[in-house]
Amino acid sequence: MRRAELVNADGLDLALIAPSTPIGIESLAPAEVEPLLEAYHEGVAALPQEFGAWAAVNLTEPDAPALERRLEAGFVGACVPAGALTSPAGYERLGPVLETLERRGRPLFIHPGPPQGAVLAGAPDWWSALTDYVASMQAAWHAMAVWGRRAHPDLRVCFAMLAGLAPLQGERLTARGGRTSSDAGIFLDTSSYGTRAIDAVIREVGADRLVYGSDRPVIPAAEPALGEAVRSALRGRNPELLLSTTINTRGFAHDSAQAPAKH
Amino acid sequence: MTQLRRRPSTERDLDRFELRRLVAEIAADPREWSGLVRFDTPARHFEQLWRDRHVDVWVISWVNGSDTGFHDHDISHGAVAVVAGEVIEERFVLLGPPRRLIHRAGETFDFDASHVHRMCHDSAGHAVTIHAYSPPLWRMGTYTSSSDGELRRESISYAEELRPAVTAA
Repeated sequence: MRRAELVNADGLDLALIAPSTPIGIESLAPAEVEPLLEAYHEGVAALPQEFGAWAAVNLTEPDAPALERRLEAGFVGACVPAGALTSPAGYERLGPVLETLERRGRPLFIHPGPPQGAVLAGAPDWWSALTDYVASMQAAWHAMAVWGRRAHPDLRVCFAMLAGLAPLQGERLTARGGRTSSDAGIFLDTSSYGTRAIDAVIREVGADRLVYGSDRPVIPAAEPALGEAVRSALRGRNPELLLSTTINTRGFAHDSAQAPAKH
Repeated sequence: MTQLRRRPSTERDLDRFELRRLVAEIAADPREWSGLVRFDTPARHFEQLWRDRHVDVWVISWVNGSDTGFHDHDISHGAVAVVAGEVIEERFVLLGPPRRLIHRAGETFDFDASHVHRMCHDSAGHAVTIHAYSPPLWRMGTYTSSSDGELRRESISYAEELRPAVTAA
């Protein structure tokens, strides 16, 4: 099935493509990184109207003006691997990039990056997805609350994969002296999770904080069995709040005559 | 949606009496909710004023005799303040007619998590109520009666709009 047909089969008006940050091209040597990122941006900008995309960020030499140009060209926001935003140094290094998003009212998408450490011999295919990715997303979630929010009070942020279920750690966080917060600018996408995990996270943060996400084309998309109200919130109202703006969320310039997606 | 200016205490769950105090305080400050009251919708209209890990707060506009049907709140305690009009509460009674209470503007009431009730609007005029629940609403039970009279409970997300019971097949 064509990718665009999969978008329709999943019941979506618009799918936002994110760069595959686990591959790690954002951190390659200076001479290698930009041509590869340019190829990604050119490739996704040429996709049909069923697609929009997140801009990639050069982590070797963070370039806020380049991001600015890509936002101008129709990218909805920027996608950064979780490991780049787990410390004060990470926030300082990407400060100008995040300030650009914040100033333009565009969201940040935090996605798992390359697994840390050596690949375990004999490990099953899902190993990183259930270990490194979960840990790095949880670290990025806490780092946003501890350092990121203070530096970027108006930045809207979407964490992939329910932030590795970080919201479920609330009791442990408060037991260890941390504080939970209710942040209307934070969203979590549901990629590769199902009814139970999504429902558990709703219990902690409410249905207004979640947006539909999938790991297509790698993993088939699944629909949680949580009723029409949750379905509509995750596919309609919440993505509109995350992307909320006057920007053209129907994709790139070639379909600018179309109305924004409404559900 | 998370827009209370004066934030409720969020360090622990609240009991039903604390919830009652909270809805009374919010009811007394219309700046917190008056912009979210709507009477131009076909059914009751609800807006979330606040949600954190311990409490959620809603403002509900009641029109045209709207009716929640019998429901429970799973493990949440609740409290309601009526700020305009009046609402009818029917508390479920096993093997008997429901206990009917009328709550008028200026009144508050509360209930614990074991409570099964329905709330209806008397179709004369409008009503506005402030609701708070702790822990925040998550799953709820809605009740129907099957054609042979058996009681049925359906578990729904709190995000679903409560509607009058439809007799199950």
